[in-house]
Amino acid sequence: MNTLVRCQFSLHDKLKLSLAIRELKTMNHIAIKMLMGDKGKYLGIVMGLTFASLIMTQQPAIFLGLMSRSYSFISDVGLPDIWVMDAKVQFIDDIKPLQDTELYRVRGISGVKWAMPMYKGLLKARLVDGTFQTCNVVGLDDATLIGGPPVMLEGKLADLRRSDGIIVDIDGATDKLGKPSPIPGGKTIPLKVGDSLELNDHRAIIVGIAKVTRTFQSQPVIYTTYSRAKSYAPKERKLLSFVLVKAKPGQDLTELTRRIRAATGLAAYTQKEFMSLTYEYFMHNTGIPINFGISVLLGFIVGAAIAGQTFYNSTLENLRQFGVLKAMGTSNWILLRMILLQAVLVGTIGYGLGVGLTAIFGYSMRHSILAFKFTWELLLFSGTGVSLICIFAALISIIKVIRLEPAIVFKG
Amino acid sequence: MQIKYTLPILAVAGFLFAAYTVVNSNKPIPVAAAVAPPSSAPFKSFIAGAGIVEPKSRNISIGTPLPGIVKTLVVKVGDKVKAGAPLFYLDDRDTRAELAVKLADLAKAKADVGIEKASLVDTKTLSNLAEAITDRRAISSEELLKRRNALLISTAKLDSAKALVQQAEAALADTQTTLARLVIEAPIDGEVLQVNIRPGEFAQAGALTTPLLVLGNMDQLHVRVDIDENDAWRFAKNSMAVAFLRGNRNFKADLTLAYVEPFVVPKKSLTGDSTERVDTRVLQALYSFERNQLPVYVGQQMDVFIEAKDSSDNGGAPL
Repeated sequence: MNTLVRCQFSLHDKLKLSLAIRELKTMNHIAIKMLMGDKGKYLGIVMGLTFASLIMTQQPAIFLGLMSRSYSFISDVGLPDIWVMDAKVQFIDDIKPLQDTELYRVRGISGVKWAMPMYKGLLKARLVDGTFQTCNVVGLDDATLIGGPPVMLEGKLADLRRSDGIIVDIDGATDKLGKPSPIPGGKTIPLKVGDSLELNDHRAIIVGIAKVTRTFQSQPVIYTTYSRAKSYAPKERKLLSFVLVKAKPGQDLTELTRRIRAATGLAAYTQKEFMSLTYEYFMHNTGIPINFGISVLLGFIVGAAIAGQTFYNSTLENLRQFGVLKAMGTSNWILLRMILLQAVLVGTIGYGLGVGLTAIFGYSMRHSILAFKFTWELLLFSGTGVSLICIFAALISIIKVIRLEPAIVFKG
Repeated sequence: MQIKYTLPILAVAGFLFAAYTVVNSNKPIPVAAAVAPPSSAPFKSFIAGAGIVEPKSRNISIGTPLPGIVKTLVVKVGDKVKAGAPLFYLDDRDTRAELAVKLADLAKAKADVGIEKASLVDTKTLSNLAEAITDRRAISSEELLKRRNALLISTAKLDSAKALVQQAEAALADTQTTLARLVIEAPIDGEVLQVNIRPGEFAQAGALTTPLLVLGNMDQLHVRVDIDENDAWRFAKNSMAVAFLRGNRNFKADLTLAYVEPFVVPKKSLTGDSTERVDTRVLQALYSFERNQLPVYVGQQMDVFIEAKDSSDNGGAPL
């Protein structure tokens, strides 16, 4: 019965199509008809590809987000071109302090427009309720305050010149450094300008709230002046963490870093180099790349399995129609094109839906703690992944169709 | 609804939203500008150092030769004083009392001289009378000897009384010196930069961490530049130098070398922290500048750049 209907259908089609059998437009139409004829299968393929595309963009986006947090402090400090530090520093939080006079040695190198000190260290802040919170304390040059936070939400950077002044980041102020709620279990009360903290037994007054890019450890960031940071810090002989250098206009940065290294024996990196140094450290010394790599690979494999399998099934189902077309003299080339068209169509739709869902995911999470960085490279990456799945799915179907005997139409 | 159109439309919308997110979420982070533009060297090759402004005379920490309670303070911060002008007086009541005693002692000693003189006249008269007698039988030889000796004793007593006057005078002069030492005077012409003592407070003698009074000659200011010992070999005495005021690079002054301290000292960090850290040793060069070029105060820090030979050819001195 079924075969009869199919036969009739194909005979009917045969009449209809014989008029313009060589017109590609019609052939494309047929291909689309074949693909969408079975809605369940069609949705299955698209969903498989959507899933694969989603996993292949969302997971790497979180990975990139996490990785970019490792160097977010460096990219936040946008003004200097070169960072000078101890030769053995491995990444941004690996601080090996220098002598204060190194600043003047770096300043004395030709090609340096200016050089400023920066203190960066972890200090304990004592909160109102007596709990302790480790904070990232950044000390900026007293006169110029170079290296400050990118966005000030309240107050001005120059307010740091007020006595005992500090600037805290908004995330720290609302969350980790917040005052305890009067109702037990309630939300903490965010710190405001004018509130005070205790840093290493020193009084500190909040004069501003800043917005900074979250760092890897997500500790609250406290900005203050260099000399004040030194008095907050435990007594050590050396306290200078970094020397921030701006090159003279027209100065070749690579040449200048080489000169700084030769003259002082310290390590000098351009902003990009220091970012990649930090990034590489996390790549080689943490399990993060492997974890996310496995997720992406699983997404690819599962997507390929679902989409490829369903696509192949759908081709198998339409094998009679392909047979008819073949019997009517349609060349293998045209059939191949038809399958490719189907593959490109489902691929594009799946890809579009997948990246769209990733974007919605990222957009809805934009104010949360989640690390998420969606770049155009990721669009290309998942596009390539989806294309590979589609090529794989199309290939197994194409082999089947090309090997197809037209006589199959007439078989039981 | 046609699934044929829904999915492609959704896919296109999804892709467009993704593209929008990509463009929107990867905006460059704004750069925090410097609050005050940093100073930079006007030379191609140079040595940079931190400078601190001080008077040409350096800062004189006035000390007291004697410890005591401050009675009156006659100067205030910013006063211009001449050399020898009193700065403050220490409590002198006991010294004045002592002076009165010494004066009385002197008067007594002087009176004693009068007595001795009178008794000398007496013994001399008696002796002369005895000597005048020509007939030896009229006076016993014992009596004669007695009178002669009395004269000798009286002469010696007068000398002793005179010596006592001298002693009392010396004691008086000593007390007067002590009294003078209770008035602390300005050693040079200058300006009072700091006053850390108030009437009623105890002024300790000796070297103090907080000086009682700081005095300096402000006619000519110097800037003391710390040059890292690693850079000291690049320093040339006749090279140009320029100083910038911290906080505003528009205030700058050309410097002329006054002198170089040939003794390299440990650098103290200029934080003002009580536990000053010794980092390294520095060569200190002193430069003078026109005072009217900069609105500068004594003790203020400056960024100093000194022109140096280009050392990039031999690569400097790697550690």
